[in-house]
Amino acid sequence: MLSKSQARAFFLIGTGLCAVAFIGLTVDTFSRIPAQTKHDDITEEVKRGKDLWESNNCMGCHTLFGEGAYYAPELTKVYERRGEQFIRGMLTDPAAMYPGERKMQKYDFSEDDKTALVAFFKWAGGVDLNGFPPTPPLAQGTAQTAKLDTQPLVFKQTCTVCHALDGQGGTVGPSLDGVGTRLDADYLRKWLRDPTNVKPGTKMPKLPLTDAQIEELVTFLGSKR
Amino acid sequence: MRYESQRIAWWFFATCMLLFSLQIVYGFIMGFAHAGYDVLHDVIPFHTARATHTNLLVMWLLVGFMGAAYYIVPEECERELMWPWLAKVQLGAFVAVGVTAIAGYHANWWEGRKFLEIPRPLDFLVVVDVLAFIANIGATVWRGRRMTTTAMVLFFGLLMAALLYLPGMIPTTNQTVDSYWRWWVVHLWVEGVWELIMGAILSFLLIKLTGVDREVIEKWLYIIVGFTFLSGILGTGHHYYYIGTPRYWLMVGGIFSALEPVAFLGMAIYAIAMARRGGRAHPNRMALQWSVGCAVLSFVGAGFLGFAHTLPQVNMYTHGTLVTAMHGHMAFWGAYAMIVLAMIAYTLPMLTGRSLHDSTASSFAFWTSNIGMIAMTLAFAVAGVTQVVLERRLGMDFLTVQREIEVHFWGLILAASLFTLGIGAFVWVFIRSGMPVGRVEPGSPSAEPAAPPLDAEAQHA
Repeated sequence: MLSKSQARAFFLIGTGLCAVAFIGLTVDTFSRIPAQTKHDDITEEVKRGKDLWESNNCMGCHTLFGEGAYYAPELTKVYERRGEQFIRGMLTDPAAMYPGERKMQKYDFSEDDKTALVAFFKWAGGVDLNGFPPTPPLAQGTAQTAKLDTQPLVFKQTCTVCHALDGQGGTVGPSLDGVGTRLDADYLRKWLRDPTNVKPGTKMPKLPLTDAQIEELVTFLGSKR
Repeated sequence: MRYESQRIAWWFFATCMLLFSLQIVYGFIMGFAHAGYDVLHDVIPFHTARATHTNLLVMWLLVGFMGAAYYIVPEECERELMWPWLAKVQLGAFVAVGVTAIAGYHANWWEGRKFLEIPRPLDFLVVVDVLAFIANIGATVWRGRRMTTTAMVLFFGLLMAALLYLPGMIPTTNQTVDSYWRWWVVHLWVEGVWELIMGAILSFLLIKLTGVDREVIEKWLYIIVGFTFLSGILGTGHHYYYIGTPRYWLMVGGIFSALEPVAFLGMAIYAIAMARRGGRAHPNRMALQWSVGCAVLSFVGAGFLGFAHTLPQVNMYTHGTLVTAMHGHMAFWGAYAMIVLAMIAYTLPMLTGRSLHDSTASSFAFWTSNIGMIAMTLAFAVAGVTQVVLERRLGMDFLTVQREIEVHFWGLILAASLFTLGIGAFVWVFIRSGMPVGRVEPGSPSAEPAAPPLDAEAQHA
């Protein structure tokens, strides 16, 4: 059996070798991080976004690169998934964007703050994370994905947050399957411009949509029969 | 208790009890929020509760380690603590910084980096405070009458813990680099140098409680901490899979993390073997139960459950889900909370001169808190696995999945209530034991209610 001095030698040599290897790998990693994280894309705005991300402890509920708390959605690809319009809306009045759901803190962000945070998310979404976050392997098949592609961008990024279509999307509001048979174009147009005007007390927020987007959505939803 | 200055440990342990109780309160706030009752949203929102919960944990464990060191080092080095007054000042300052930080979290003042939320100006105060602690312990070890392996491992563990706090303060504008250094602190603490501290405290307790020869115990201490570093240092790689660092970390992290359970298994076998081998029946059975329980549950929580989601192929789906919370709770409980509680259970009769280790409350505290924590881990496991399957595998919406798993948080709250009863009993025993008034006389029944023959090994060494 080992003597105490042999045990000590095992500890010291093992630790020493591992520490040297670890420091070596760290040096190598730092030489590769700039390319992998597109370090040159870190503008002043991205930096400010990161500062805001930290000074408000966003990681205390959300995850970014899978790191943080598990109370609110993962935000690595949020720019691609939700788009700038939605993110800005969320940062302005979170409770309106997810009515009656798990609450996010309301912050008094200036327009510049919001731009900085959007820039930060946009940068984060472009970092090569070795395949994270994964595409759900058991999600409904390719036919579904093809259907998704016919959806207008604003629908995919904004409407699906709360509403589902063909089984994909949120469950905060009602499903939009067959909405075209229930509601006509005029109603949809009025509804999307200002929901509370049509139905006072509705939980659906007035979204910052352009006229072109509203027309696009009216056509798209009208076709859902 | 042989030295007057060991008594300082009591104040550290009392602080532990206070901070730990507060930590549990914040845990409940989060549990209810997850179950759909975020009733304190406007006062203590989730991110405040979360930062407070984890920071209180880190704080009370560090205070516990300090208390343990102030108790162990004089006894191992056979001299009074170098500067007992400094220990008191340093505890007061540490608590003041901690309370300021936590008050800051309630006023949106923080750094927002997971586990290292303490605002930057306070970071420097923490460093100064810990340096004062290290100086005090270091000077005592240096001027001691003997240098034992246990004391040296403990000292270097504490010193490295202090030094490894520094990488977390390196400023950067790149989130990936930020995370990289953050794990140098967090991972190299909990899966590295904290294990040195834990190993040293465990070997001190085993020497005292089992009567097995110091040479045998310390030899195994070297082997176990050797395995810890062999796996733990490069095992840091499991935090570098998906944060924007090179792909080779998947292999390095995967292989070395897979070895991490070996160190913990070694620790568990070692504690059980020593406890069996010990011919001496130490009267403080509770302290031995906590010590062996610590070694076993740290294997289950840190070793086994850590391994359960550390392989890159698995971690791809579990990374950033409640599966992490499952592993985290039992790992911290088993490895670090229990070692501090073991130390408190062992020292309390000597520090206060009252032996309550045979009481029903002591036994109730051990079993109820452990059963409660195991049940909590199971609740997190069910919630976490469900989240992984629905959200990550089936691609369901985040909030829909969260509603789906709310029910498991009621399970968690029930389990946590059981756990709280256990901890309540532990704190009750602590309070009933009274203030530190134990007499400092080697061999005297009131100073050493824990069996006089204990002195034997101190004399032959």
